[in-house]
Amino acid sequence: MTQKQASLLTRSRRLLRRLVDRPASVDLTRYEALLPAVGAREQDLLELTDAELTGAATALRDSDGARPTPTDEQLVEICAIGREAGRRALGERAFDVQLLGVMGLLTGRVIQMATGEGKTLVGAIAAAGHALRGRHVHVISVNDYLARRDARWMRPVLDLFGVSVDWVEPGHGRAERARAYGCEVTYGSVSEIGFDLLRDRLATLTADVVQRTPDVAVVDEADSVLVDEARVPLVMAGSVASGAPDTEAARIVSRLRPGLHYETDADGRNAWLTPAGTSVVEKALGGVDLYSEAGSRRLAAINVALHAHVLLTRDVDYLVRDDKVQLINTSRGRVAELQRWPDGLQTAVEAKEQVPPSDQGEILDSVTVQGMLARYPTVSGMTGTAVAVAETLREFYKLEIAVIPPNEPNIRLDAADRVFATRADKFRAVVAEVQRVHAGGRPVLIGTQDVAESEELAGKLARAGLDCVVLNARNDAEEAEIIAEAGTKGAITVSTQMAGRGTDIKLGGSHGTTDDYEQVVELGGLYVIGTARYRSSRLDDQLRGRAGRQGDPGGSIFFACLNDEVVLAGAPDVPGNPPTDDNGEVTSPAISRHIDHAQRVTEAANLEIHRNTWRYTRLIERQRDDLLGYREEVLRGERATELLRSRCPQRFAELDAVLDGAARDRVCREILLFHLDELWSRHLAVLADVRESIHLRALGRETPIDEFHRAAIPEFHAIYPEAERLAEATFAEITVEEGGADLAGAGVRRPTSTWTYVVHDNPFDSDAEQALKKVRGTLRKRRG
Amino acid sequence: MLSAIRSAIATPDLRRKILFVLMIVAAYRLGAIIPAPGVSYTAVQAAREEQGDDVLFSLMDLFSGGALTQLSIFATGIMPYITASIIVQLLTVVIPHFEQLKKEGQSGQAKLTQYTRYLALALACLQATGLVALASSGQLFGGVEDPVIPDDSVATTAMMVLAMTAGTATMMWFGELITERGIGNGMSLLIFLNIASQIPIEGGNILQSRGEAVFVVVCVLALAVITSVIFVEQGQRRIPVQYAKRMVGRRMYGGTSTYLPIKVNQAGVIPVIFASSLLYLPDLLQRLAAEQTDVTWLQTFIQDHVVDQSSPVHIAGYFALIMFFTYFYISITFNVDDRAEEMKKFGGFVPGIRPGRPTAEYLRFVLGRITLPGSIYLGTVAILPNFFLAVTDPGQNINFPFGGTAVLIMVGVGLDTVKQIESQLMQRNYEGFLR
Repeated sequence: MTQKQASLLTRSRRLLRRLVDRPASVDLTRYEALLPAVGAREQDLLELTDAELTGAATALRDSDGARPTPTDEQLVEICAIGREAGRRALGERAFDVQLLGVMGLLTGRVIQMATGEGKTLVGAIAAAGHALRGRHVHVISVNDYLARRDARWMRPVLDLFGVSVDWVEPGHGRAERARAYGCEVTYGSVSEIGFDLLRDRLATLTADVVQRTPDVAVVDEADSVLVDEARVPLVMAGSVASGAPDTEAARIVSRLRPGLHYETDADGRNAWLTPAGTSVVEKALGGVDLYSEAGSRRLAAINVALHAHVLLTRDVDYLVRDDKVQLINTSRGRVAELQRWPDGLQTAVEAKEQVPPSDQGEILDSVTVQGMLARYPTVSGMTGTAVAVAETLREFYKLEIAVIPPNEPNIRLDAADRVFATRADKFRAVVAEVQRVHAGGRPVLIGTQDVAESEELAGKLARAGLDCVVLNARNDAEEAEIIAEAGTKGAITVSTQMAGRGTDIKLGGSHGTTDDYEQVVELGGLYVIGTARYRSSRLDDQLRGRAGRQGDPGGSIFFACLNDEVVLAGAPDVPGNPPTDDNGEVTSPAISRHIDHAQRVTEAANLEIHRNTWRYTRLIERQRDDLLGYREEVLRGERATELLRSRCPQRFAELDAVLDGAARDRVCREILLFHLDELWSRHLAVLADVRESIHLRALGRETPIDEFHRAAIPEFHAIYPEAERLAEATFAEITVEEGGADLAGAGVRRPTSTWTYVVHDNPFDSDAEQALKKVRGTLRKRRG
Repeated sequence: MLSAIRSAIATPDLRRKILFVLMIVAAYRLGAIIPAPGVSYTAVQAAREEQGDDVLFSLMDLFSGGALTQLSIFATGIMPYITASIIVQLLTVVIPHFEQLKKEGQSGQAKLTQYTRYLALALACLQATGLVALASSGQLFGGVEDPVIPDDSVATTAMMVLAMTAGTATMMWFGELITERGIGNGMSLLIFLNIASQIPIEGGNILQSRGEAVFVVVCVLALAVITSVIFVEQGQRRIPVQYAKRMVGRRMYGGTSTYLPIKVNQAGVIPVIFASSLLYLPDLLQRLAAEQTDVTWLQTFIQDHVVDQSSPVHIAGYFALIMFFTYFYISITFNVDDRAEEMKKFGGFVPGIRPGRPTAEYLRFVLGRITLPGSIYLGTVAILPNFFLAVTDPGQNINFPFGGTAVLIMVGVGLDTVKQIESQLMQRNYEGFLR
């Protein structure tokens, strides 16, 4: 067989496999054809000095950057320089597969590369490639630690390209941020970049705006950011003085008894008064009718107090520290520093704990991760697990996936799940398994569901005489250090799925010798144990992917039981009474299939929530864009001055006499911007209100989302005239003195402090979603 | 309204979608008149001229847009697909694997759709075979001299069946294309099209047989019927609801429309379909038993009072059945206790009424009161064509498209499609046009 025939055969075989497997990925042959050209260029570049190499990169700059995707020649040159730059700066010569990844990123794809294949370098070369074509790149990572680490790590490579690079992190001031965003390549965590966007949107001076127009986003861990966290809202809140705490409601509620006076639902999300409870409360309040039009204000206070009293538990949901109530983020097991409960719930909890009321937060602006990324004309990403979310990426982002083969074939052994009847049986088996594997010194990594489970398991391991290290999501940098050592001989590491993302686990330890490495390889490499299946198979795969990097040996196994969260959420009705052996292990293969089914159900439910949230937020983001267009004209142009000059010429003349041109413009601008921003904040609150009950429309055979739009659109269009009217009124009121105007006196008061936070779990919003799903579910069932 | 239409056409994306639907519609209508291979076109046309309407076939013809009696490549209509999807829906209750797939969201649904398509093809093959057999044996058109299928060899028959089955597959594809890349629900739109395509034909018949005066009167009446159907379909009772959970410390926003809507015609077209299917049963049974020679009093009764659509017994029975099914259907689809419970949990209440049982009682009361006019309305619209019988051809005429199921379906699908266009517009932050 000639070589040509052979390559034709492999090619057609691959084509066939692509058709039969998941048809989700793009064909790589086009990129593969370019690799020989890159290889041919290698020798030439090797002989250049550093300055000459940078020169070669700079030569690409004046090429035509207007084209949406680079030409083949450009791809070849970028890859060749990238390989050489990586070799010189880091001592890492990029493999062919990494260069395929670079080409995927440069053409706007999401690339799937296994853990340990060197995604960071791929991202940096691609970012440099975009920058050389005159574009401005944000490399978006999942946390601040990774953003800083990658920026520092990759700086020498980008320097050789002659491309400027910097990063943003929470500690940075405005000047540092402006400088970082001024660079051609900016590294940052998704929340940090999002918060800067929110702050920029509320700036009243052009000098305060730090970000440039979004251009290219290269997203690391693309599936987490684009899918798992896509519907997470980033929020900017401002403080408003809190109302007096309703101690009366708190006092009345504290006397009520569960079952008799109030009831809660099974998942602890809602609490409500029984008829008996209602009479008690009405009597205590002096005989008002809570459910009349007039009584609803009192009812709201009672409901919130009841929620605070019954559903929120001290030291589980919040801490009381220094006379302050602080929220605990349960999924991460740490205090959510800046987050507060919305709509009076915070005050109610403070009343319950009898601490002085803090300022209330009012949402000034908010953007979802997806909405933020939608602003970038070019989005590309890299991740270890993309194929499973191919449909989602295509639907929400119009992104295609390129699956990059591993440099060395993966030889990890994935064992079949072991299923147990009860949780106790499962944990006993996990401990036994750790004991068995650990006996020979093979390193073990155990992935748990949450921090509490990590702690529990660590306790059990300790009782069995096994020393382990627990990662409990306290600090990203420390976690990275610990997880990097998980491959050391004899190590037992317990960690949540999230912890230590983006850090490579090298066998034999991060600073281990070749000897250490060989020893661990001998033992079979890293052994990964999952204590339960996650809510999506993708998360399972991410955990498995910790082992078997770069062709290393490794193994993985998942334990499961019938009370696992994923089973309870997805398919709680387990068929029959499954047979078990003496250790409580279920032997029937049908149960295994049932767990797979449960996982698929939860995946589908999450996707549905994502789709639903996106449908509701899409209009809001569009309206925000519309308003920001107007705001931009006010901020950068003379729009406010023109408006007020024509609306109140007399007043304008008075002002003009006292103030110089710049000061006058500034006053006009601030007045109009203030009203625009305030009306937007109000608009958000109105929409949240509408959203709450819109699911009821489904009962009248209407589509809730359409009805939501019908309510939201006129509301939005009223903002412009209203803002102009209010600006006019304020303008007439302000008192002017030498050098400026007393804006505060006329009510133009921006919040004294603002803060930003990420809402990971909002009980209220999910209420609306739950209710909507329920109503739709019953309707569909009945119709079907 | 006009500005909304203008913005619909001015939005490139939306314009493309509308044009796409129109293109599919044209292709679909074309297919409905292309005769299947082996059919003698002249003989079919002659037979259609001669043929009076037969109740059963004419109903099927209505749903295939006349393609059935044309023996065209789309002769099977979209009935196979509809039947298949109903069967698969029912199977999700019976077969555990189907039930699991249904719960698994999109990917599971995709598999179910695939099964539905296969089943639809099988049904289409069956129906096409039956149809071709009927036609070649001369049963489809009674008393015709020229055979409609001159060559009745096995090969020709097989080819016809194959062509009609392929036609069904094409129609399914058309419907899915509309749903996916056009506007509205493709299958409903195709049904709409089938019914609407009969209007000019029937109108022409009236004009020919009764003259211009009657024709004008019928047109005015038809317009009046359609207008009032649209009017009632849009009608709803709005029960005010307050959510008292999150208003603390927040300014109240005047006029946010928080209400629970109950439609006047809450049950939709389903009761009519139930009632008419039930009334067809005796006729169908009798046809199956048609071999018997002795005529019992029961058969005479059925023939005179149930099958004959102009008989007062038939009309009264139809009306009563519709009213019954309306109440029945609403009582199973709208569970007031569940609604009241759900509102209570999420902190909602009807002002002046306590949550829980009192709210459920109140909802039941309102629902009961609105169902009465709703059911009378449904019944009236449904029996309208029976009154029109005297105006059009004497005898049976379910085909008359200005009343009954046809007008309810047409208005329903029409409103739905307009709403879809509107919803597309609203997504782009334009104001909608339905109030």
